[in-house]
Amino acid sequence: MSERGNEPASVEQGGAVYRITVLMLMALLVGVIVSLAAIAFVELVAWLNTTLLISPRARVQVEAAAWVVPLATVAVPTLGGLVVGVMLSRLSDEKRGLGPPDVIGAVQLRRQLPGARAGIVSTAAAAVSLGVGASVGQYGPMVYLGALIASVIRYTRLRVKNLEAISIACGVAAAIATAFNAPIAGLVFAHEVILRHYSLQAFAPVTVASETGYVVANVMFERPALFLVDFSGVQHGYEFALFALLGSLAAGVAVAFMLLTLKCGQLAGQTKLPPAFRPAAAGCAVGIVALWLPDVLGIGKETLRFATIEGAFQSWELVFLVAAKIGLTALCIGFGFAGGVFSPALLIGILFGALFWTVLNGMTGIENSGIAVYAICGMMALTSPVIGAPLTTILIVFELTRNYDLTIAAMVAVVFSNLIAYRTFGRSLFDVQLGRKGVDLSAGRDQARLMSEVIGSRALQDYPCCQAGETVRTVIGRLAKSQWGEAMVTDEAGVYLGVLRLQDVIDQPAAAARDVMQTGHVTFETQTTIWEAMAALKGFVGDAVPVVDPASGKLVGTVTETMIIETYLDVVHDLRREENAAA
Amino acid sequence: MRPLRLILILAVFCALARAGLAAEQITVVSWGGAYEAAQRRAIFAPFTAQTGIKVNIKAYSGGVEPLRQRAAAEGWDVIDMTEDDAISACGEGALSPLALDDILVPPRRGSLVGDFERGAFQKCSVAQNIYATVFAYSQTAFPGIKPNRVEDFFDLKRFPGMRALQRSPDVILEWALLAEGVPVAQVYDLLSTERGLKVAFGKLEEIRSAIVWWTDPAEPPALLAKGEVAMASGFNGRFFAASNSERAPLAIVWDSQQIGYEVWAIPSGSKNRENAEAFIGFATQPDQLARLAEHIPYAPTRHSALSRVGLHWRTQVPMRYHLPNTPRRNERVLYRDSQWYASTRALRQRRFEDWLAKTQD
Repeated sequence: MSERGNEPASVEQGGAVYRITVLMLMALLVGVIVSLAAIAFVELVAWLNTTLLISPRARVQVEAAAWVVPLATVAVPTLGGLVVGVMLSRLSDEKRGLGPPDVIGAVQLRRQLPGARAGIVSTAAAAVSLGVGASVGQYGPMVYLGALIASVIRYTRLRVKNLEAISIACGVAAAIATAFNAPIAGLVFAHEVILRHYSLQAFAPVTVASETGYVVANVMFERPALFLVDFSGVQHGYEFALFALLGSLAAGVAVAFMLLTLKCGQLAGQTKLPPAFRPAAAGCAVGIVALWLPDVLGIGKETLRFATIEGAFQSWELVFLVAAKIGLTALCIGFGFAGGVFSPALLIGILFGALFWTVLNGMTGIENSGIAVYAICGMMALTSPVIGAPLTTILIVFELTRNYDLTIAAMVAVVFSNLIAYRTFGRSLFDVQLGRKGVDLSAGRDQARLMSEVIGSRALQDYPCCQAGETVRTVIGRLAKSQWGEAMVTDEAGVYLGVLRLQDVIDQPAAAARDVMQTGHVTFETQTTIWEAMAALKGFVGDAVPVVDPASGKLVGTVTETMIIETYLDVVHDLRREENAAA
Repeated sequence: MRPLRLILILAVFCALARAGLAAEQITVVSWGGAYEAAQRRAIFAPFTAQTGIKVNIKAYSGGVEPLRQRAAAEGWDVIDMTEDDAISACGEGALSPLALDDILVPPRRGSLVGDFERGAFQKCSVAQNIYATVFAYSQTAFPGIKPNRVEDFFDLKRFPGMRALQRSPDVILEWALLAEGVPVAQVYDLLSTERGLKVAFGKLEEIRSAIVWWTDPAEPPALLAKGEVAMASGFNGRFFAASNSERAPLAIVWDSQQIGYEVWAIPSGSKNRENAEAFIGFATQPDQLARLAEHIPYAPTRHSALSRVGLHWRTQVPMRYHLPNTPRRNERVLYRDSQWYASTRALRQRRFEDWLAKTQD
């Protein structure tokens, strides 16, 4: 990943009309292309599900041949896992499936996405993973696909500020709008999760892209709303307290799910199994469990619906399913299937919601509004902390179910769940995954950006320097010709030893530099971030801080306090400008 | 090419007619009752008039079993079947494959395939009309609030009374899921799972004490007319015939209607293949299809025929509105997935029989 802060593309050109035209046309184009790609992705997965006997509708039609379905159930995910493992380990530089965390990292830190090849391989691997029924989600890969397509804008020379980040947000919004048939959720997701600000400069094009995705999905392909639910309103006021309770409990399940997912990733690293074979192991586990619980296979659209029907599940079935789905999803993702966590979270959540209702209705006999609203509340309450986007989640309920009463109810569960999960785990699985890679977004964009900017190439090369053996007199002579009051002391190999300060040594001209230099002075390494530098400079007195190569100990340059502060201000101002940009 | 083929076929008809082959005949198998009566007037009689080929009519109540047992003995030449039955029968070799390009008469404009509804051409059959499985209620049973959704069919509290249902797993399982709030688009996906069947039979269990089973499609309108049941499932054409021609006090509920194709096919044992093919060619021409729809509201499967459908031949009722595929507001329409029906027939039948046996305990 290379820095792109210094690229000429950040230089603006042309007036507001030019910028608006470029952004809108870009949004339209990205919207159409991403939307078509998203539909193609969904269709490809559906076709694979049918052909490989993963979808129930295909399975039931070959029911007469007794051995076909059980064989397919175990063999398809296992062999599919092998294909995914080989694809990722042989063809991708990243050696893993890519998803929303990579997009968030790239946009927040203004880096480029991982290479196009890794992106394409990851998308193909995700299609295979989903096609063979692995317990992973389809929205993460689609978000990445949208970002991947949109990031092509990098190769243009349009000279509009923040263009790549806005383009990526457009791609993500269009993917979500198409996938869920939910343009408002697409718009909000791109801002809440990817951009993390609401500037009008980004808002307008992202809306256009989201809307375009919706038009393509609805008008051209007539795709129906994904999850229509009949619900005529909450019957009793006290049920809102129950929704809050459900939300709080769902937060616990969500945290357990996220921790287990991270844990499985670590476990996979510790096994002796080569990475190419890990997904096959997870696939085999999915297949074996699916012999008894076919609901765990794939995205589970049928199971989602059953969870809203009273009596479709016994309560013990729900307990088993919630546990199995959590375990298998964590296993599939940890062991290297390419795919997201969103769809599995929806499924775990809706089953948990149904379980909550079954217990509530069966054991307490409290009058209530029926299973559907509790199932939906559970679904959204569990999903929201996983993706770290309460507002998006609330809007997804609205657009998925097209039901206002359900949305009002789910809202309560969502916020309570989010609050608790944020406190005990973190903002989202994505953010925690990023955090483990050293990108900490928990304290906001500013800190993450400052932590991503390193001193490295910023170090000055033009500074006074002396060998350890030189006399103070020689050094003073050198300093007098410069504007500096300090010289960096190194040995013959250029390894940094200390700082010689004019005011300390002015009265001992005959001494060797090594004997009178200051050691223990603040030093930076090439990889020291601006954030760390700011903290280290507290109480610093002096001209400049030496920058040392951590491996060899050699002095590579110096930075002044002013330079650090300027860089800090540049980054912060740049972020504020981005957040407040009108067009 | 096309006009040439048309002339050729007409020439064959004329030649046959002129040769005075009055002794020529074919055996056509249909469903009896009002449907057969409509076919006689709209298709069979004109066919004989044009070709001189006499049509012997046999009746059956659908399914593949009669084809196995009776076709050879009774010399069946052409059979009127539901599309899924035809797919099953074709799969087991009971029907012979049709060279539809040679048999069917192309439209004046456009292509043959484009003129027919999507999926109308199968290996051994061609779709001839579109029928709906609906439920109807007796006006006398519900003088006050009338049922208008499939949920009402399962609601014995609000709408008490007996329910007449076909003794078959067809359609009722779908209705059971629709009544549970499953959207139309997901019905067959859910019915493909073990859990879906459980939920559907669970719903059916709620009304089992009120079910009267029928096998002959003529029964449900009769049961309603006699007041023996309050609601009944059946085919839209039969209910229309009863209320339109016989003034029976019943009304159709279009919500959750299941639309299916009725096809023509030739049993593999037919000894009269040429005439059978000539019959299918004749019966699927736009004029014949439109005329049938003016006798009984089963919609033509050809676009060129739909615009010719006018008034009922006797009562002068405009027939367009009574066709299953006419646009209606706020009502669910389920399209019978013939392929799925054919491949799951054995499983559904087995489960249905198990459930019936459990009922008798």
